[in-house]
This record gives sequence, C-alpha cells and structure tokens, in this order.
Amino acid sequence: MAESPVLAQTAPSIRRITPTMLVALVVLFGWLALALAAPVIAPCDPDAIDIMNMLSPPSAAHLFGTDQVGRDVFSRVLFASRIDLLLCVAGVLPPLLIGTTIGLLSGYFRGVVDNVFMRIYDLTVAFPFFVLVLAIVGVLGPGLLNFILALTLVGWVSYARLMRAQVLTIRESEYIQAAKCLGYSPAAILGHHVLPNAIGPVIAYAVSDAVLVMLAGASFGFLGLGAQPPAAEWGVMIADGQAFVQQAWWICLFPGLAAISLGLGFALLGDGLGQIHRRGATA
Amino acid sequence: MSRPETGKPPLLDVKDLTVSFGGFAAVKNVSFTLQPGEILGIVGESGSGKSVTCRAVMRLLTGAARAQGTVALDGQDLLALGEEELCAIRGRDIGMIFQNPASHLNPLRRIGQQVAAPMIRHLGIGKREGLLRAVKLLEDVGIHEPEKRARSYPHEFSGGMKQRAMIAAAIGCQPKLLIADEPTTALDVTVQARILELLKELNRKTGLAMILISHDLGVVADICSRVVVMRNGEVVEQGPIDDVINRPRHAYTRLLIESQPGRKSYGSVGSPDRGKSLLRVENLSVTFPAGQGLLGGNSFRALDGVDLEINTGETVGIVGESGSGKSTLARSIIRLNTPSGGAIRLDGQDVGALAGEALTAFRRRVQMVFQNPYDSLNPRLTIAEAVAEPIWRHGIADRKTAREEADALLEMVELPGSLRDRKPQQLSGGQCQRVGLARALALKPQLLIADEITSALDVTTQAQILELLVRLQRQRSLTLLYISHDLAVVSSLCQRVYVFKAGRIVEQGVAQQVLSTPRDPYTQALVGSLARLPTTQTIPLSQGVATHAT
Amino acid sequence: MPLLQLIARRLLQLTGVLAGISLVTFLLLHMAPGDPARLLAGERASAETIAAIRSQYGLDLPLWRQFLTYLANLFSGDIGLSLRFQRPVSQLIEQFMWPTLFLTVYVICLAVPPTVALAILGARRPGGVADQIIRLVGIAGLTIPVFWLGIMMSRLFGVSLGWFPVSGYGAGFIGHLHHLFLPAVSTAIWLVPVLTQSLRAALIEKTTADFVTAARAQGATERQIFWQTMLPNAVLPTLNLLGVMVAFMIGGAIIVETVYAVPGLGTLMVNALLGRDYYVVQGLTLVFAVSTVLITLLVDLLSAFIDPRVRL
Repeated sequence: MAESPVLAQTAPSIRRITPTMLVALVVLFGWLALALAAPVIAPCDPDAIDIMNMLSPPSAAHLFGTDQVGRDVFSRVLFASRIDLLLCVAGVLPPLLIGTTIGLLSGYFRGVVDNVFMRIYDLTVAFPFFVLVLAIVGVLGPGLLNFILALTLVGWVSYARLMRAQVLTIRESEYIQAAKCLGYSPAAILGHHVLPNAIGPVIAYAVSDAVLVMLAGASFGFLGLGAQPPAAEWGVMIADGQAFVQQAWWICLFPGLAAISLGLGFALLGDGLGQIHRRGATA
Repeated sequence: MSRPETGKPPLLDVKDLTVSFGGFAAVKNVSFTLQPGEILGIVGESGSGKSVTCRAVMRLLTGAARAQGTVALDGQDLLALGEEELCAIRGRDIGMIFQNPASHLNPLRRIGQQVAAPMIRHLGIGKREGLLRAVKLLEDVGIHEPEKRARSYPHEFSGGMKQRAMIAAAIGCQPKLLIADEPTTALDVTVQARILELLKELNRKTGLAMILISHDLGVVADICSRVVVMRNGEVVEQGPIDDVINRPRHAYTRLLIESQPGRKSYGSVGSPDRGKSLLRVENLSVTFPAGQGLLGGNSFRALDGVDLEINTGETVGIVGESGSGKSTLARSIIRLNTPSGGAIRLDGQDVGALAGEALTAFRRRVQMVFQNPYDSLNPRLTIAEAVAEPIWRHGIADRKTAREEADALLEMVELPGSLRDRKPQQLSGGQCQRVGLARALALKPQLLIADEITSALDVTTQAQILELLVRLQRQRSLTLLYISHDLAVVSSLCQRVYVFKAGRIVEQGVAQQVLSTPRDPYTQALVGSLARLPTTQTIPLSQGVATHAT
Repeated sequence: MPLLQLIARRLLQLTGVLAGISLVTFLLLHMAPGDPARLLAGERASAETIAAIRSQYGLDLPLWRQFLTYLANLFSGDIGLSLRFQRPVSQLIEQFMWPTLFLTVYVICLAVPPTVALAILGARRPGGVADQIIRLVGIAGLTIPVFWLGIMMSRLFGVSLGWFPVSGYGAGFIGHLHHLFLPAVSTAIWLVPVLTQSLRAALIEKTTADFVTAARAQGATERQIFWQTMLPNAVLPTLNLLGVMVAFMIGGAIIVETVYAVPGLGTLMVNALLGRDYYVVQGLTLVFAVSTVLITLLVDLLSAFIDPRVRL
C-alpha cells in the first residue's frame, strides 16, 4: 500500500534548523567575525617580541598570558584563526568540487570511467589517510600549500565515493527514468534532477570533514610540516608551547581550546545537516 | 470457508478498543469477537487501522501508543497483562505472521533455529528436540527437503518459502489463534493462492482460529466466514461474509465491493477496433549480466524472443508475475534497456536506431507512467514544475506558458489547483499517480505505457485512477499499453492481453476470452489463483471438517 | 563453500591492491620536485656524490626499469636502506614496530568496552537525556586535537599528579602498560565517540526492524531480543568501522607517539620526514598500507563469518 500521507506530511518540517545547529552557526560566524576583525580587536601585534615579558601568566594586560618570547597569546590566537579558517575552506573546497564532479559522472554513466575510479578508490583506502598525506607532504616539502595539495590529492576520493553511492541509488529511481523517457538531455538530468537530490549528504559530510581538515592542519603545524613558524597557527603555537608546558600551561591551553570551539561549530552543524538527510531518507 | 463452533464462549472478545498515538486516534471503539475454529477477516484500506488493531491485540505497538478497552483471550484481558505474562502468551497461545516475510526473519540465523525458537522457549524442550520438530513443521507447511532447508539461511529462500517458514514458526506451539497481517500481499498471485490454501488446510485439520487482515476483499472472501470492514479506525460493518458482500449495508462497503477489479468494466472493453498497426515488437530479447561470480559469463535472459503488436487506439494488456519480463519490455520500448536481439518498430521505424531529431519526435509520441507514486516524481520539484518541465524543455512553449499548460493538465487529471505548489511528499499516492499521468500527457503522446501504475494504491483509489485513465484515453485518442500483475484489472480494462512468463509470451488473445477460457496451463493457474468475489448469491461452503483438538 | 570462494576472491583482489600500493609508494619518491638523487644525497652534496648515488640506486635507468627493480627488491624482502641510520629499513621497522603494535592493541582494549556500554545506554532510550549527553560529548570528543590532549594530559597526570610517566616505552609488560597508558587513553578518547555513534545508530535502527517485532510476537523477552537478535545484527556495521578506524589509528599513533616520545613507527616516520630519509618514508608507507589491507581483509572475513549474506 502507498505510504500514509499523514506520515509524509511531516516531511517539510525537517527543514527546520535545530537549536544545536543554531549554536553551531553562531560559533562559526563568531569565528569568522573574529578572524576578519583580528587587526582591530587584537591588543598587540601577534609577532611583537617582548623579552621583558616572557612566559607571563594571564593578566589584564595579557588576557591569555605571553609565550616564551613574550608574544601576546590572545592576539596570536586571534590572528591564527585567519589561517585555520582559511585552511578549513581551502582544504575542503577543492576535494569537494573535484570529488563531486567525478562521483556524479562516474555513478551516472558507469562504464570504464567508473571502473577506473573504483580501482583508484580501492587503492586510496588501502593507505591510512594521515600516513599518505604525511608522506606526500614529506616528499613535496613542508608548508601549507603542499599540505592542501596533498589533502586534495587524497581527499577527493571520499567525496567521489559518497557522491557516487548517492547517484547510484538516484539513477535507478523512477523520476530519473521518467526524465530519460521525457527526452531530457543528460546535462539537464544531471544538473536538475540528480545533483540537487544527491548533494545533501555530501555537503553534510563536507562540513564534518572541515573538522578533520582543521585538526589535520593543526597536527601538521604541530609536527612542523604545515604552517611554518613564526606564523601564528594554533598547531604551531601548541608545538611552541610544548617545551614550556610545565611553567606556562597557557601557551598550549588557549590555542587548543580555540581549535576545539571552531571544530565544535563545524561538527555540530555537520551532525545537524546529516540528521536532516537521514531523517529525510526515511520519512 | 471455516465453520465456527457456535454456542461456545468466544475465543477472542475485543470490546471498545481505542488506540491513540499522541492526540491521534488510529483505532476508535472497535469491537468484534472470534469463535474457536473460526477464520475472521478484517478488511480495510491503508490508514483504516486494521493492522494497528491486531498489533494492539498482541501488544506489539511502540511506547507512544495507548490502547484502551478490553481484549479478552479465553476471558483473560490481554491489555491488563504484565510484560512477563505477555511473553508467555505471545507465540504460545497466539501466533502471528506478517506482510513481508523477508524482513521478519532474522537474516543471521538458520531457518530451522528460527522455527524451533518459540517451541524451545515455550514448551521447555531441548535444542535437538526443537530442531527435529522444526523439520517436521517445515514439512507440514509444504517445504521440500525439510532437513536440508532447515539448515538454510533466510536469503536462500524464495518469498513464498519464507512465508511458509514464518507460518511454521507461528504454529509450532499449537496456538489457539493465528493472526495473519496481510500474509500474501508481498507475494505473487499464484504463490498467494498456495499460501491461502495452506492456511485453510491448517484451519480445517487443526481447528486453528485465525484473524486474517487484508486490503483485498477477494482474499478475505476466499477463506473467511465472517468479516469486519474498517475505515479510518472505525468498524463500518461486520457480519457473515456472504451477507456483507451480497447485501452490504454501508455505503463504504458498497464502494469497496464496486471497486474490486473484475467487478467493473471500464467501458473500453468492446469489439477490438482494428486500427492500423502502431508498434511492433519483433523477436525481442534482452539479457542482463547476472552477478559477478568467479566463473562469470553467466547472463540472465529477461526477455526471450517476444513478438507483439499494438494497433492505434487499442488498449493492450500485459500480465505476468515478478520476473516475467513485463517491465523489461516497457523499459525496452522507451529505450531504457538495450535489446540484445530483435527490434521494436514504431510505424515501421526501428526505435533502437533513432537519434537526434527523430529520437525527440519519438519521445513526444511514446510516454510512460511509472509504478511507484512517490519515487516517480522528483522530490524537490513542485507538481506544477514537474508537469511544466517537459513542455519548456521540448521548446513547445516558454516557461511561463508551460506553467499555464501545466495547470490545465493538472485540472484534466482532476487535481485541485490548491495542490499545484505542493511537493510529492505532501500528496497521497493516488494524487502522485495523477501527477505522473499529467506529466506523461504533457507532450501529447500517441502511445502511453502504464507499468503497474495502480499496484501501490488502495483498491478504491485504483478504481478512480482506472476510470480517469479510460476517460483520458477516450478524450485524447490514446493507444494504451497497460502492464499489471493483476489479471482481473487487465481483463476489465483491455481489449487484448498478452500473458508473460519467464520472459516469454505463453498466451495471447481477446482479454475476456483469456480470462474465461485460458488455454495455457500457466494462464489457467493464474486465473485459478484470482481471489475473486463470488458473484452469485449462493456461496459454496467448503467441506468443513470436524475440528479435532490436538 | 561460499566462505572459501570469498577468501579466494579477496586474495585475488588483494594482489591487485598490493601491486597498486607498490606503484604508489614507488612513485612517491618521484613526485618530489627536482632530482631524486639530489633529494637522497641532501642539499649540499657534491656532483660526484650525486652521480654515485644515482648509479648506486639505479636512478639513471628508465622509470619502468626502476620500478621492476623496486618490485624485485620487495619480493626479496628488501624495502630500502635508511640513509641516516645506514641500515635496512626492514630492520628499523622490526625494531620500532613493537611499541606501535602494543599501543594499537592497548587502545582497542580500552576503547571497545566503553563503546559497547555507551552505545547500549544511548540506544535504550533514543532521544533521552543519557542519549543526548552521549551524543553531544561524542561530537565534542571528535573535535579535540589529539596532540593537544596528549600535552595537557601529560602535564596534568604526569607532571602535576605524577601518576603516569609522560614519555618512553618502559620495560616489561607492566612497564609497557604503565608507560603507554596516557598515549592509549588520548587515542581512545578520540576513538570511542566514533564507534559509539555507529553502534548506537545501528542499534536504534534495529529496534524498529521487522524481525525484532516478529521475535517479540513469538514471545521472546526484551533481554533475549536485545542479546540474540538486535546486537548481532547491529555489530556488523560497527565492525567494519572498527577496521577503518584501526587503519586511521595508525595515523593517529604517529602524533601520539611524537607527543609522548614513544619509540614506535610513528616517531620513526616523523623523524624520517623531518630528516628527509626518503627510503624510510617509502618503506613505512608501504608497511602501513599493507597492514591496513590485512586488517580490512580480517574484518571482511569476520563479517562473512557472522553474516551469511556477505559474499563479496
């Protein structure tokens, strides 16, 4: 029997934004505002060395204290958010665009392209993600640009895989068959019918993936393979502070908390988006 | 037909049962009784509350549901029992089988274990004894090689065998009552007939009382002695089956009976008007690669040398069970499948060779309506957008004019204008199928293929859609290819019919003739499996065997 | 038997993937901008040294010849020579692999019990208070940088409280347990939320499964239903995820080992990267990939053992 319209009628209400998603949006836009306004709000120059004020604990003058060469940790955390936010976008967008396109085409047209893609996928998942990115960066040389490059080289595969799985189900649905039967062009079917119905979970994944990218970026900074000191980046700052953590815990603590809060913003948003699509799929 | 034992207290006495989910009452003041040895039918369409009623009897509803009233089994109120007492009754005194046997079997356990589990639980027998009895039960429900099959997993069983296994598990403890919730809906008609036969035999041999829930009045009339008709959570009518069918008191019951396929002829049945040949299918074969085993190379032949012809203005039916290749044929005609042999010709032109302009012209002449009401519409488009899209994409009109034409089309399929900006999820199944029709007709096609377009719909909705289809056909002088598993529907709608089995045509001819005097053994089986309402006043009683309690 | 057929098919697939892995690791060295010989020799090497290295490593041969040599070496168990240690990479790996293995098993042992407990707790009443808290804490757990957590924990438990050592591997089994406790906990804190989410979702999905209703209709108690029907059916997707996660953890171990100065493969990898010891990087990448493939194979076989439908 056809499903009851009573159940189906609740479907549109799932588009509503949940309170957690609202919190997530506030956090994300908050960080964006802070990053943009960093030069205005930051009390000190993030790179200004002040030997007289080395390792001084949090105080009214230095909200988050100072580091081993007397730089203001608060200002550095603020300025670092520019690099880390940029990292999230630059680390997610290229694999998202490349992966989505390849997944869309390979899932819809199948054939040789799809076969080749699946072999590439099999091969890529054979490597631990982090190890492969690490090895590529190691060979290309440290630096943010190489990190993004390596991330794109490895990361597009997950997007393509997810997109392909979506497309494989959608292409069998009757509205796509109807579209073919009505003589729509492949471009119209892909753009107007397949993509809008397939992209949702991919976007949700991309938002969650931003957390992973940020953490990986910070980790690379920490290992000395990502952003290069003296640039203010949260991972680099934590690495700097590690040696002094016994006397000056604040150098490490605050960049970490900053990373967690930004990560939470992305994670909660991604979780909310994902839930909408899961519920939408079952509704 | 079962013979109730009269003069005894009822086995099951349901009084004023009301079930509500939050503020919504799904079942309202339902009362009925069941005598020992009786088969009671509960019939109703989706949303009638028939399944909720029997789940409430078994106390299988989720925590959100609240049930009030009394449900007395042998005088014991089931609604008042604690969890532990309930577990002792479920599976022991009441057995239950479900609509979709595939999803109701645990995929990780062997069939034998699953059949034995209730007996081991309730009868205190050991595992070995349980398995031995399970094998015996599997044999009783008609499964060949029961020892071997008991070691199989559910995915190795066919749909009919799974339902037999479910029945075996349900009757192992020799319950007093078997509740069957749409037990044959997911099965092919010939399999359905055999399962119903099995249930009848169980009732005859062991006096097992049953409640059969079904949307299909024909099925209920086939095996029940009394029937309860439900609608919107209420009982509209109940009584002995022949009274209800031949002298329905409630208007809804009358509508239900009227809507039964085969009860009604949809006008187009007349002398086959021999127009000129429009579509010819010549020796068509379609093969699909089957699996990717290590051996490989195996392929599955979905269509095997099919020849058929459709004339202008004709309504041609195609009947077959799942896997018969009927949908493959439809998909081949609209070029969604590539044939491996043979040809499809429209006005003598090979459809497979069309390209460019000619292909576009073909698309405008041949259109299709699909089976699944919700899946056949893009969930992101409003229905007006969906209907307008083919018009502007084909350059027939600009987007604005196309919207106006879409409104006219929606009106033509009797959809109120207030629905035009709704999305498919906000419509009922029948409404979605109307949109599908409007979209297919937007290009003003000559040939319309309808593939199981009513099989997901309620029987009264089906009747409405069929009426609409016939009206549209007349108004627009359409040629119609109607594909269905339901011989009754096809023969009431079509002039000529082709019967498909395993990718071949086994019989063809004038619809009424095929239905009344089938020649092929398979068609005979198909006709014999039709659960039709008795048309005469006298209903032959099947030989009621004196029930012997075991 | 389907199971044997499955193993045969997977082994066949394995050869293909292994060939791909060797190709990728081989090309890794050639991805570097510039002359690989110069990379191997270092920035300040003289022209003679570079020429010597070029002929020693066969870098003057065409690429496909080099690949064949590489493959032949792999078959004989030679995965290169460390430039820094002047020892075969295989020897280095053998020396450094034990702490990493110990840590991995340790993390799994620490992570699985709380995962099962939390998932069950959450799935008992989906949307309840306990479930919401577990879900939110789980999401938060994912966003913590492992290296930062490591530093903070070593500062708190190691330095301030003095309960656990903050670096090294210790001696003897008990010593290993003691020394690796903080690294293992840091990794587990990240792993538990991921697995819990998966198991919880699978459990909740199975609570409404038809076969659960059928079991209830046959008189099974809620306890029996949970342990005999729901859990086995829900474990499968989580098992697959665990396989992926263990592979992921090898990556996570790199960071944790660096923070806690554990002499494992991760530390070896980072030092090799920073010291431009390319053959070690190449060899380690190969070893990591092969172990990932083996873990996946193991998980697949385990799934096939539990689920008769799995045949791929």
